[in-house]
Amino acid sequence: MKNKLLLIAAFSMLIYSGCKLEDNPTNAVTTASLATTSDGLLNAVNGAYALFKDHEVFEGTTDLNNMYLRQYFQMSDFASDDVVCGQVTTDPFFLTFSLGFTPTQQNASYFWYISYKIISDANTVIEAGSKISNPSAAQQQLIGECYFLRAFCHFNLVRFFAEPYTINPTAPGIVLRTSTTDPAIKARSSVKDVYAQVIADAIKSSTLMTDGASRGVTFATKEAAEALLSRVSLYEGDYQSTITYSNAVISSGKFTEATASDYKTLFANAQTDKETIFCIAFDALDDYGKLGSLASQYYSNGNSGWGEEYASQPLRDLYAQNPSDVRTSYIDDDLDSSGAQQYKNGIPIYYVTKFSFQGGSPTLSSPIMFRLSEMYLNRAEAEANLGQTSAALTDVDFIRSNRGLSGALYNGTVPTGQTVLGAVLQERRLELAFEADRTFTVYRNKQSMNKTYWGYHLQGLQASDINLSVAPANYPNMIIPYTSTKIIYYIPEAEILSNTAATQNP
Amino acid sequence: MFNLKKLLLFLLLVVSYCNLYAQERVVKGKVTAKDGSSLPGVVIQVQGTTKGAVASGPDGFFSINVTPGAVILEAHSIGYTTKVIPVAADQNKISFVMEEDNKQLGEVVVTGYSSQKKGNLTSAITVVSAEKLKDVTSDDIGEMLQGKVSGLQVVNSSGAPGSVSEIRLRGVSSVNAAQAPLIVVDGIIGGDYDPNDVESVTVLKDAGATAIYGSQANGGVIIITTKKAKGDKTQYEFKAVTGFRTPDFGTMTMMNSSELYQNQKQLFRDYIPGATGNSYVIDLVQFQSERPASILNTNTNWLTTMFKPAPVENYYFSAMGKTAKNDYYFGATFYDEGGTFMNTDYKRVNLRSNNTYHFTDKITLTNNINISGSEGKSYDYNDIYYAYLNLPWDNPYDANHNAIYVDGNSKFTWWSRDKTNPINTIDNSDHPFKSFDINYDLALNLPITPWLSFSTTNRGSASYYYSSTFYSPEVEGVYHGTGYLNDQSTYDYGGISTNLLKFDFKLGKSAINGLAGVEFEGSQTNTVGASGKGLPIGLSSLDVVANSQAVNGSPDSPSILSYLSQVNYSYEDRYFLSGSYRVDGSSAFAPGNKYGTFPSISAGWLVSNEDFLRDNHAVDNLKLRLSYGITGTQDIGASRYLGLYSLTSQYNSAVGATPLQLESPNLTWESKHQLDAGFDIGLFHRINITVDAYHNVTKNLLLQVAQPLSVGFETKWENTGQVLNNGLEFAISSQNIKNKDFQWTTDFNISFNNNKLQDFPSTVISTGEDAVSQIYRTGGNLYEFYMPTWEGVNPQTGAPQWLVQNKDANGKVTSTSVTSNYASATLQEQGSALPKFQGGFNNEFRYKKFFLRINTYFLYGNKVYNANLAEVENDGSEPLLNQIVLPKGSSVWTHPGDIATEPSPENNTNSTSVSTRYLKNGSYLSLRNIAFGYSLPKTFAQRLNLSDINLSLSADNVYTFTRYLGQDPATTITPGNFVTPGVADFKYPDNRQFLLNIDIKF
Repeated sequence: MKNKLLLIAAFSMLIYSGCKLEDNPTNAVTTASLATTSDGLLNAVNGAYALFKDHEVFEGTTDLNNMYLRQYFQMSDFASDDVVCGQVTTDPFFLTFSLGFTPTQQNASYFWYISYKIISDANTVIEAGSKISNPSAAQQQLIGECYFLRAFCHFNLVRFFAEPYTINPTAPGIVLRTSTTDPAIKARSSVKDVYAQVIADAIKSSTLMTDGASRGVTFATKEAAEALLSRVSLYEGDYQSTITYSNAVISSGKFTEATASDYKTLFANAQTDKETIFCIAFDALDDYGKLGSLASQYYSNGNSGWGEEYASQPLRDLYAQNPSDVRTSYIDDDLDSSGAQQYKNGIPIYYVTKFSFQGGSPTLSSPIMFRLSEMYLNRAEAEANLGQTSAALTDVDFIRSNRGLSGALYNGTVPTGQTVLGAVLQERRLELAFEADRTFTVYRNKQSMNKTYWGYHLQGLQASDINLSVAPANYPNMIIPYTSTKIIYYIPEAEILSNTAATQNP
Repeated sequence: MFNLKKLLLFLLLVVSYCNLYAQERVVKGKVTAKDGSSLPGVVIQVQGTTKGAVASGPDGFFSINVTPGAVILEAHSIGYTTKVIPVAADQNKISFVMEEDNKQLGEVVVTGYSSQKKGNLTSAITVVSAEKLKDVTSDDIGEMLQGKVSGLQVVNSSGAPGSVSEIRLRGVSSVNAAQAPLIVVDGIIGGDYDPNDVESVTVLKDAGATAIYGSQANGGVIIITTKKAKGDKTQYEFKAVTGFRTPDFGTMTMMNSSELYQNQKQLFRDYIPGATGNSYVIDLVQFQSERPASILNTNTNWLTTMFKPAPVENYYFSAMGKTAKNDYYFGATFYDEGGTFMNTDYKRVNLRSNNTYHFTDKITLTNNINISGSEGKSYDYNDIYYAYLNLPWDNPYDANHNAIYVDGNSKFTWWSRDKTNPINTIDNSDHPFKSFDINYDLALNLPITPWLSFSTTNRGSASYYYSSTFYSPEVEGVYHGTGYLNDQSTYDYGGISTNLLKFDFKLGKSAINGLAGVEFEGSQTNTVGASGKGLPIGLSSLDVVANSQAVNGSPDSPSILSYLSQVNYSYEDRYFLSGSYRVDGSSAFAPGNKYGTFPSISAGWLVSNEDFLRDNHAVDNLKLRLSYGITGTQDIGASRYLGLYSLTSQYNSAVGATPLQLESPNLTWESKHQLDAGFDIGLFHRINITVDAYHNVTKNLLLQVAQPLSVGFETKWENTGQVLNNGLEFAISSQNIKNKDFQWTTDFNISFNNNKLQDFPSTVISTGEDAVSQIYRTGGNLYEFYMPTWEGVNPQTGAPQWLVQNKDANGKVTSTSVTSNYASATLQEQGSALPKFQGGFNNEFRYKKFFLRINTYFLYGNKVYNANLAEVENDGSEPLLNQIVLPKGSSVWTHPGDIATEPSPENNTNSTSVSTRYLKNGSYLSLRNIAFGYSLPKTFAQRLNLSDINLSLSADNVYTFTRYLGQDPATTITPGNFVTPGVADFKYPDNRQFLLNIDIKF
């Protein structure tokens, strides 16, 4: 019997011969395989777009508040005079209201990090693509999209983390990443050098992308690259190029300015609207609801969002000058059944709905990154700066005539007490409110931001202090000059600590 | 056999029991030790009864009453073998000698792959017997071990039903790799068991003992041994524990209606910082218009409304016995833990059958099966959050006691900041979970020669875990109108097979034993999940979700192949030398880096067996030990060495690949080099002391090295950096008093641990949830908080203040000042979440048949950041969240010149930002368990055909002494999603338990 048992035991040893000690990932592929599989590059490029909307793990946590686009819109528009804060919160976006920036604030760190993740993804594809001999038009399109994404992300970074080009082109810009094999330790390039790289990448992308291979407005296209070049040229003060690239987009014939009646549904139907040049596609699976959607801070139907940030009083006053302006349809005054104004902590509630109602959902939209109106406004601003008053006002009137203001056109005349640039910038504010434009436009034009209105950006404000019949007085930081260090964010501390060559903003 | 009738009979007899007297005679005598010296404190009794027991006096003399005729006496004393003395009918004077009992040294300790006599051990090993373990009633062995093993830190950070504690042995020695000790059940790595089935727990603390477990033993090893038959006689045991638990809200007292009303007056003070003409008075007219006194008509205590006392029950039945061929043990447990929070609970059933068949004396086949199933209901964090933060001015119930529905559209006044009634949410949601687990162990021992044997030990296991999150469309909030269902399940099957050749022989004065063999461990874990919205009211199955359907799932199959060996040598039972060597291959690493080697060597000298101590009366045991060895870690998840793109994302309905991980082809084992020196000493047969000092260096840490964020990756896995842990452990177990009727025993242990990081490639500031940062740098500690120092309130402005350090070019602090500008405050290291020392102090008093036990656990020197305080002590920045009653001595600033502790609500900018304001001393002393019990007389039990009946009342977590402000200071130290070690967030409060225990053996 003992021998039988020994035999069984010996057999049991045989199981080891089949042991391979392998545990390969089942939901990921190796970086190297991207270039060698048929759908590798396509997946990687699509992934780069997904990073604009996904909640990526950051600092060990998948925080639903961490989304590229959420930080993109909040970090810019909450700093502007278009938005009022109705609730003090521990969410770091509050620092954008209070100007209590820190180098460790998570929203800015995440935005920085994901920007570079998209850039790393783009670089991986560009490098893999450079090894393809005779790339097809579809492959060239993908590579072109990656040059676009690299340019777009570098440009957004330099807008948030460096002084405006028009104020100081030699100021430290951001770290330029154009290769995955660069040393990790790398200094910030100057603002000027960053713009040069952005422009070079955007031009390169516009030559690689073709109509035939275009994947539609939810992806980068030749026109998206030109729209980016229009915007970058304007920020750089290169007005001739601004006009050139704006014209290229306008004359491409691919886009049509929304009419006054279409305009009301433009943002809910961004993916199909003829005005959209480039938007980030969100579909039903990306409807993050109250916890994590872009709309949540701006709007609530009672359950759908936090609804704690509203259209500011100065912006509403500006719209109120022309009650027929259809752009007010994106501002939703919260009234109760008897028509009484509703308040949050003493602040009147005027919801913003530019990020709602795709497919009827209060928390879903495909945020627009570029649209045709901006091309007219970019051109108008360039023209105004070049002294081409009538051309500038014609462009402004084109916008106004499509926004229900046919009865309130400039018709080539600058109103007394206003400049042509003033008229253009006012139109830009009305048109592009809540679209991550206002703050950059104010400061790059060397203007001050005036936030003299009741809201929780005022230090230590209590609801009981609010008297809406008079303007607030004596609170600090109500007017922020373009010379303030608070017009840009700190470089994330995590970058400074591990990248010893990078310097911090003052 | 146990039956209900018998139990009833027994209860009846308890009432009617009385003592019977008989005629008596006296026997006198003297007790001596082997060398002739008299022995005091020896208990002498008539065999079979403790009635009339006496103890010998200082000179060894005793006198005992016995019945007429021949009797048999028994003599007991700790450290001596029980002596049986027949006394003839006419004998009334006796004297006898007590034999020393070296049983303690001869006791067999299970050390993993083998077992050894306690006296032969060369490593730091602590054994906790079942008796010492089961004071606390729980389903979790960690809770039971708290305070009983030096060097073992146990954190019960949640009071949720079925929650599992965190166990850390000798500090934390890894940064990014897993930290929990390896659990070994009945000699096989891993496994499921019920605490009621546990015979003993052995904790292996140094590498001398743990290196044989190689790559899985970095966090130490806890060996669970389940019960086996002890004698020929069939033994039954029935145990019932029943009682209730109440939530322990700690030191955080929330305001009631009128306290909050008074508190809110502060918000109406006429003060605009920087403005002139401030009057600093409260505008009572405005206050009364905005906070009408009618709100005082409602005084809801949300906590006591949502947390209620809940029942706890634990029933256990076992049977064991032996026949010539077969040993068997059967245990069944039913554990039912009610949750103190609404709609939470946990139930578990566990069945175990341990059987050993003896083919011959030496050839044995063991079949052990453990089957368990559990189910319960979990909770949503937000519901507990609102239990703390909703205002007492809101009433959750309508006149019919139905939880009212509240949302942003509700037009009635709802004061609380968020328009939500958590009770209504709970009524319309559910978080159930279920699990099933089966283990089958098969072991065969086969002698080949008299000194060589073969053993194969195998376990197959399968488990299934299911959890669900359900919201009805009727719920308030995100899922209103749509509902939501998310079902997740995990099934796991695995096997482990260990095949060893064991040898054991004597050569003259030397004895050698050891083993060599091979082990394979593999498993596959599959997760499958699906979710969706668009549920019809009343239904909650995946079949009926109408939209937003999403699925997830992936398999993972890790494996480890190991070669192991161990040799133990002893000479004259005085000198011991032990060595082990293990080679592990893991699927976690790249080909070429898969294998790691883990050697150890240890030595012991049993000094008390030397001639010069052999006859010493003071010292009955003295052992010196020294060990050195290496353990490892590979537990970081699969494929960390590969450059990866994740395919879990999608864009525009197409698959998206996103950058996941940087390549690190050379990634390999993290190894912990452990040096331990210790001694065990036994004195006067009463006192046992164990002292150990250790120096552990974890090298080649598997570290997520911080990358500049601008490369697009936060970290890269590398083998770099070191964690140093130096520590000292002291444990004493003492029989303070032992006489006939009264015994007092004390177990005390304390352990100090000092932790340091070395050779870190760069300083990393890790900022987690609630914006709390911790710094990792060479020379620093693990989990070191990094934040500005709170400097109180500016007496002139009422603004918060923080410390600023002004530094020269060399970074030396030249002066300090304070600032009310948070951004310019200096970030400083503020202490670690890990304790400096911790331990337990446990006492047991026995008087005749009664016992009283008081067990405590203490922890000192750790910091806890109470992130809750930013909400409940928020200086008016969020006025519509309920606030805590401020601790004594606190005051809110009211006017210039006021020396206050709380900033002005009118000038509170950044006052709740992360600083030492909310960083609290986490030290505490916890009264873990008090029990009072009574053993019914044996004679009485025997009349019922029972052998033992024990009754006791016990209370767990009776009280925590602490200066911490918050829920109880036990705070998680395991990093994770939304979790920073040492940061307390609103949690399911821990519980006090009050229990009645009945234990019957027959």
